[in-house]
Amino acid sequence: MREPTYFVLASLLDGPLHGYAIIQRAEQLSGGRVRLATGTLYTALDRLTAEGLVELVSEEIVNGRARRSYGLTPSGSGALRGEATRMAEAARLVTNRSHRLKAGGAAGEASPA
Amino acid sequence: MTPLERHCGWLLRAYPAWYRRERAGEMLGTLLEASPAGRRWPSFRDARALVTGGLRVRGWTWLLAMLWVAAGAVGTGYTFYVTTKPWDPDLGIPGWSTDPVVVQIILVLAIIAFLALPVPALIAGFIRLRGWRRQNWLRAAAWASAWIAGVGLSALASAWGQYPLHSCLHMPPGAIPPQCPYGSPAVVSWGELPVCATWLVLGAVMTWILAAPAPARARCVPDKTVTGRQPT
Repeated sequence: MREPTYFVLASLLDGPLHGYAIIQRAEQLSGGRVRLATGTLYTALDRLTAEGLVELVSEEIVNGRARRSYGLTPSGSGALRGEATRMAEAARLVTNRSHRLKAGGAAGEASPA
Repeated sequence: MTPLERHCGWLLRAYPAWYRRERAGEMLGTLLEASPAGRRWPSFRDARALVTGGLRVRGWTWLLAMLWVAAGAVGTGYTFYVTTKPWDPDLGIPGWSTDPVVVQIILVLAIIAFLALPVPALIAGFIRLRGWRRQNWLRAAAWASAWIAGVGLSALASAWGQYPLHSCLHMPPGAIPPQCPYGSPAVVSWGELPVCATWLVLGAVMTWILAAPAPARARCVPDKTVTGRQPT
């Protein structure tokens, strides 16, 4: 799963959002790293809708234009949690090793040669 | 309508009509909300994402067909261009021709695209229009006709692109056109211009035929509608 897709799904964790709110939330959650362009967002929403990970929840008319809100489907939630677990395991692989190396280094410095 | 709204509307035309009917209003609303106040043009990032997003929705079939049509138009345009010049056996041959390098490169690319694309474009069109609905069969028949028209145009361009016999006024007795001497008077093959224009019309026809959403793509646009509040 690519990072923008991950943050689009993550932005819907707390409930359905409309397009601009997804852009804002994704930017906020990623610490400003993921700034979605409108075209990119809707390409992602089309794909995620087709894959059954996201669904249209409601539609309203604001200023004469449709404003649709999208929400996570159960399989979207599952895919997001699965990706989060995978990334956490991948991160643990590195952080555990770094801790061991640090611990080993500290033990080596402590013990006299 | 604000300038920003108008310019965003232009960019949204990168998407096919069926998609714009479903999504243009919603996307425009998001674009306007995401743009800082007082802006007249969308940002470069937004513009690029709209164009690439539109091409993605149109699909690679559309791209192949349009490349073929563009190659046909370029080839025909070049044939017209060479007939404005004195006869030269090396016309269009890279490394030999006296044409500008850019013209030679464009011509070679157009020839490669023109030779390589017709059959893949035809097959891709049929794949795009697959399905058992009657409307799809009609579109597939129209697609095959457009393809045949394209092949016919290329044959016509090839026939009309032959250097006319009477262009070699100083031809020695008994010489045939390949031996036509340099510096013969220019004769413009005006027949090329309608062929070139017809290629462009063919592009519009192919765009229209392919305007139907691909079977898998049709499901991407949400069809669930919940009535909401009216504008205030």
